[in-house]
Amino acid sequence: MDAREAPSQRPDTLDITMEDGSNAASAGDSLEAPSNLVPFKDNILPQEESIDLGGAEFATPHEDSSATPSESLMDRLNDQMMESVMISDSPNNSEEEDVAPMDSFLDGGEDLKPAREDEGKEGSQEQPFNQLQAVFSGTDDPFATALSLSEVDRRHDAWLPSEETRKVLISVATQQYSPAYVESSRLTMPGLKFDNLQVDAVKDLMLRFLGEQAAMKRQVLTANSVEQSVIGLKQLVSSKNWRAAVDLTGRLLTAHGQGYGKAGQPTSHTTDSLQLWFVRLALFTKLNLFQNAELEFEPFGNLDQPDLYYEYYPTVYPGKRGSMVPFSMRLLHAELPQYLAKPQEALDRLHHLETICLAILDNLEKGLAEDGSMVTLTQENRQASLKLWRSRLGRVMYSMANCLLLMKDYILAVETYHSIIQYEPQQRVQLLSGIGRIFLQIGDVKMAERYFQDVEKGCQKGGPVTNTTCVLMNRAFVYLSQNNYTEAHATFLEVLKIDPKNPVANNNAAVCLLYLGRLKESLGQLEGLVQQDPTSYLHESVLFNLTTMYELESSRSTQKKQALLEAVACREGDSFNTQCLKLA
Amino acid sequence: MDVNQAKQEHLLALKVMRLTKPTLFTNLPVTCEERDLPGDLFGQLMKQDPSTIKGAESLMLGEMLTLPQNFGNIFLGETFSSYISVHNDSTQIVKDILVKADLQTSSQRLNLSASNSAVAELKPECCIDDVIHHEVKEIGTHILVCAVSYTTQFGEKLYFRKFFKFQVLKPLDVKTKFYNAESDLSSVTDEVFLEAQIQNITTSPMFMEKVSLEPTIMYNVTELNTVASGDDGESTFGKMSYLQPMDTRQYLYCLKPKAEYAEKAGVIKGVTMIGKLDIVWRTNLGERGRLQTSQLQRMAPGYGDIRLSLEMIPDTVNLEEPFDIVCKITNCSERTMDLVVEMCNTRSIHWCGISGRQLGKLSPGASLLLPLTIFSSVQGLQSISGLRLTDTFLKRTYEYDDIAQVCVICPYTSNEC
Repeated sequence: MDAREAPSQRPDTLDITMEDGSNAASAGDSLEAPSNLVPFKDNILPQEESIDLGGAEFATPHEDSSATPSESLMDRLNDQMMESVMISDSPNNSEEEDVAPMDSFLDGGEDLKPAREDEGKEGSQEQPFNQLQAVFSGTDDPFATALSLSEVDRRHDAWLPSEETRKVLISVATQQYSPAYVESSRLTMPGLKFDNLQVDAVKDLMLRFLGEQAAMKRQVLTANSVEQSVIGLKQLVSSKNWRAAVDLTGRLLTAHGQGYGKAGQPTSHTTDSLQLWFVRLALFTKLNLFQNAELEFEPFGNLDQPDLYYEYYPTVYPGKRGSMVPFSMRLLHAELPQYLAKPQEALDRLHHLETICLAILDNLEKGLAEDGSMVTLTQENRQASLKLWRSRLGRVMYSMANCLLLMKDYILAVETYHSIIQYEPQQRVQLLSGIGRIFLQIGDVKMAERYFQDVEKGCQKGGPVTNTTCVLMNRAFVYLSQNNYTEAHATFLEVLKIDPKNPVANNNAAVCLLYLGRLKESLGQLEGLVQQDPTSYLHESVLFNLTTMYELESSRSTQKKQALLEAVACREGDSFNTQCLKLA
Repeated sequence: MDVNQAKQEHLLALKVMRLTKPTLFTNLPVTCEERDLPGDLFGQLMKQDPSTIKGAESLMLGEMLTLPQNFGNIFLGETFSSYISVHNDSTQIVKDILVKADLQTSSQRLNLSASNSAVAELKPECCIDDVIHHEVKEIGTHILVCAVSYTTQFGEKLYFRKFFKFQVLKPLDVKTKFYNAESDLSSVTDEVFLEAQIQNITTSPMFMEKVSLEPTIMYNVTELNTVASGDDGESTFGKMSYLQPMDTRQYLYCLKPKAEYAEKAGVIKGVTMIGKLDIVWRTNLGERGRLQTSQLQRMAPGYGDIRLSLEMIPDTVNLEEPFDIVCKITNCSERTMDLVVEMCNTRSIHWCGISGRQLGKLSPGASLLLPLTIFSSVQGLQSISGLRLTDTFLKRTYEYDDIAQVCVICPYTSNEC
């Protein structure tokens, strides 16, 4: 496997540059108010601020609420909650099908009045019904819609808390308004630990090798150049400017009161704040900044602390049950240790996830709700829930198999990949081929051939084209393992006859040419591909091959690598791994 | 990877790259569900990535081949493959280029180039390519010497050499142990069991394709490393078909001396050659290695001058009932012996017959059969002891105790015994 070096983490610099000057921190709110977009109640603190919630423009993130004069813990909690309210993504703008918790519809939907601080308690109670009708003007039965949404919520948020956490949640439920005082060691108090990651490695290289003029021409989206909201965040993610995206998550989280230096300080959580954390930590992982992720994950413990459950906030999320932690975040948390040379810990965490998934599936099959309670589910809902949890279980098993592979425990890895087939039968061909490749890596060519034959038997004629290419690729790999580069090359070419744009076949054919002593041809082929179709071919793996061959070809490889750098500069975001250019 | 810069004054540049097998690119899957904030963004990113497996993007091991990024390790028995490229870096046409590649070890110098003829001309920006292969047969320092000679367009003859040094390491640690079987009572010959312990001392897993013992002319080999099931036997190692770094495996072989050598087997003294171990293994993407050990030697167990073995003895006998045994006495010395047999009773073993009788002369290498009768007075597993053989020529007595064991049972069910 190729070794990846995580770039060293940027030391924390505290300067979070704000664009439009700082708005004063949030006002307070009483705990009776439910979650998003809450109308302000009576006990507002003297400072007012305008919260522009209409349309797409959101206010720039506030400074830390430490600026707010607030005496008690309660008030501080209130502050945090208000801030989290303002940044939430409104369903109108959301691209997701499953909309925000149904409570928001009961309160007063998102088509909003700009300055809500004017509303008193009395007025707000009449409003919800008006707004409710406004929102649901198109549908017949608002309650049915609300109920079905709550079904979706329930099955996605279901989780089995540990015994201790369960006790705390029960005690919260039995007291009406204020959460029981839980020791702070059982609370989740996260905060940013890294700031200002935005360093563009490509631009740095350009400065060194192509000069300042060229470097100035580099245009990438930065955290400042997009809307300071989830929409902007998605733009940065999809354009592969993940470092900028990380910075933006930092800003958005700061508005939630969980900014730099806030770790260890009491706060409260919402669905949205946790999603932001998830995106931040996921991006760290994609950038291979594993230590950063580990440090910022730390305050979350094992994601089972009471304040990460909806039941902990009975006034904010009344009646809602389950975990606010996205399942994908749990998965990320479980997988992380393997990238930090602690694969056994990753396996332990993944096994724990697997156990809970199996318990939930068991509950469902017995006719109970996911968390074991005696709620009757309709047939449709039960099936949907079973489907969801089975696919989650399959995903956990993929993680386990990948981890075992990383640990080089090939036997267990193969067994685990094999057992995924029952959960994802449509991936049978890919899984069996993958297992075959594992055996090729070990050197057991015979066993690999057996698996590839299995694949071939399972692929009928007239099946999808991808099956045929898969069979051919497998055959090519076997030829490779038998040192028959000529046949391997010919077989990759056969794939290209069926699928001319297949980047893997093109890359692999070029690699074979090198082993056959045909360097110039190989170079020509790869270079041509990179020029014609940079979207597919400006990829780490291809560029590693290309630069390796440049170095083999002549002493003037630096010039050619610089040309590659220019091509990269035009298209790739700030997350591009520049090591493959070998210009360092 | 050994790529050195060419000297500035030369028109041609020589580059060398070791061609180990390519590796498969791995991905780090990061996924989320539709309801999460990124929605299907992460999924889209993974689908657009050309190195993921389409339809199973969470599968870590992809299909993209990546060229080797460094020289890596090379082990005895593996094949050293290398790409040698001579590139015309100049703007003039170069003529009569001769590229030679030699491998220099501590003991010898081998020519590796495929072709020994000169290339007539090389235009600017063109190159001459060669891929050389060599099965490494020595440990230690190896030097690849590449020599390039050429003529410039002005007629000047130029020449340069480059040296690439690398170490060849030992991949396996082999230990052997011999076990002598107790004489199989139904056969006359002795079997020798060879246990070979093989340890992988490289840094990556090895698939043991074949480990076989090639015997010398004296022996037949039965390999005992498969469990008979179905058509092909299944290996005794089961699913664990590969050897992790620092792991050890034991292979077992049974050697039987061939019939024509059988008689001599009993009197083989000193060191004998048993055979050679032939080991073939594979690593990443079928990279092959092969080694043979030197002739394995076995020290014959010393039998002394006379060897006493049992030809026939029952397993179980009844208490106080006489039973017959047959002993075989072999003269392992160089001189003729005149033997007298004496039997001494032990607490449990009582000999029947005449003690002190002469057995007659026995020439060197010859053997005789001696039937005897015993009965036991004690129940349980009893050891037969008390035979004495005296060579009257040298007046030397050889004692034989604990020759064999027999199980003595009581045939009566009542308490009378």
